[in-house]
Amino acid sequence: MNDVSNFPAVRISGLQKWYGSFQVLHDVDLTVQANERIVICGPSGSGKSTLIRCVNQLETHQRGTIEVNGRQMGKSTPNMHMLRRDIGMVFQHFNLFPHLTVLENCTLALRKARGMSLAQARDVARHYLERVRIPEQQDKYPGQLSGGQQQRVAIARALCMNPKVMLFDEPTSALDPEMIKEVLDVMTDLAREGMTMICVTHEMNFARTVADRVVFMDAGRIVEQADPQTFFSAPSHPRARQFLSQLL
Amino acid sequence: MRFDPDFALSVIPTILSGLGTTLWITVAASLGAAVLGFTLEILRRSNRWLGYVMRFVIDAIRSTPVLVQLYFIYFVLPVYGLTLPAAASGVLGLAVYYSGYLAEVFKGGIDSIDAGQFEAGKALGLRRRDVILSVILPQMLRNVAAPMGNYFVSALKATPYLAVIAVPEMLGLAMEVGANSFRYAEPMVSVGAIFLILALGINVLVRKLEQRLQVAHQR
Repeated sequence: MNDVSNFPAVRISGLQKWYGSFQVLHDVDLTVQANERIVICGPSGSGKSTLIRCVNQLETHQRGTIEVNGRQMGKSTPNMHMLRRDIGMVFQHFNLFPHLTVLENCTLALRKARGMSLAQARDVARHYLERVRIPEQQDKYPGQLSGGQQQRVAIARALCMNPKVMLFDEPTSALDPEMIKEVLDVMTDLAREGMTMICVTHEMNFARTVADRVVFMDAGRIVEQADPQTFFSAPSHPRARQFLSQLL
Repeated sequence: MRFDPDFALSVIPTILSGLGTTLWITVAASLGAAVLGFTLEILRRSNRWLGYVMRFVIDAIRSTPVLVQLYFIYFVLPVYGLTLPAAASGVLGLAVYYSGYLAEVFKGGIDSIDAGQFEAGKALGLRRRDVILSVILPQMLRNVAAPMGNYFVSALKATPYLAVIAVPEMLGLAMEVGANSFRYAEPMVSVGAIFLILALGINVLVRKLEQRLQVAHQR
């Protein structure tokens, strides 16, 4: 039997990616175990977003391997859309579907990809909208919600698919300061419940309190990986030290 | 010979007997053009080589006269064993002709959709087909309602071309009145007025639709 728990949630090895002649990822190795929470940080342009976008193949890589739950992810992988159903993603700009209501945003993939009936899909969607504390907005359109509310809907939409891994690509970077907390609270709840999470974020407090491991990237390489305590108190790499000193 | 308003009015029922034909041909050709145009544009985006081919097809359709296309379907295809009735030939001809223009309109409508919409659909594990039909198409239609409506009006005004392949639409009937009575001014004014009213009517409908789409899907 193909028991998922035997595999790491994500295993990346020797990953290399170029945009034309510019190399954005140099030989990246990263293994994420099930139920682990990883925060990836680093200066802009360091390849953090590109890295997690390779995990669900929104970006393709040229060399190296990516496995999610033991399955190879690559350009020639057949039925990529089916593998993506187990990988939730939350985007910086929410990317909710503006022509659909909040509830419809959540039920679309359940119906089209999971083949659920409308009633079933609505039940699942309402359950997750409740978990992100936004059940009363289900009949509104995304444009009628605040940024924080939209991002929480986006998290619920991803959770509806019951993913094994959640990818967060700077989920609070486009939010006004007073809305950041409501989104981080939802993410913290999710982490407490044991969701496997890979978060690209600049929220260092979130990293400190929630992450099992902090991964620091610079210029397309992972230059440091450590538990948050070690990372924040005694970063070993000079580039990480410089980065942290600029944040404080 | 002076213009005779009474005669102009009296020929209206004769001309209007072709209204049904004009309308169903317009509707069928418009729908056909929309479906075909959308298909062409989606295929154009699907991969590089098919993209080049579709780019050429779209340009070729737009770069040949509609009458040539109609004659081709009605007179040339039968030589190769495909004989269509006149009305079907007319619908097909107009559908093909306007599909080229609508493909261009749809290109603009899809280009203006944020790339994040495709990505969100993909990330949820939707098939390409479902991303296109459930995420892209509805947003595209909102973007293109006005220019698409213009081409529907244009298709309505192109139905008189079908007179040349003996489809009993309104211009053909007006010409018949002219040939029988030796008076062309009155039937031409009447048929022109009927087209004017129809086209203005569609314009109003399109504008209403556009407003409703904007209200319903505010960003």
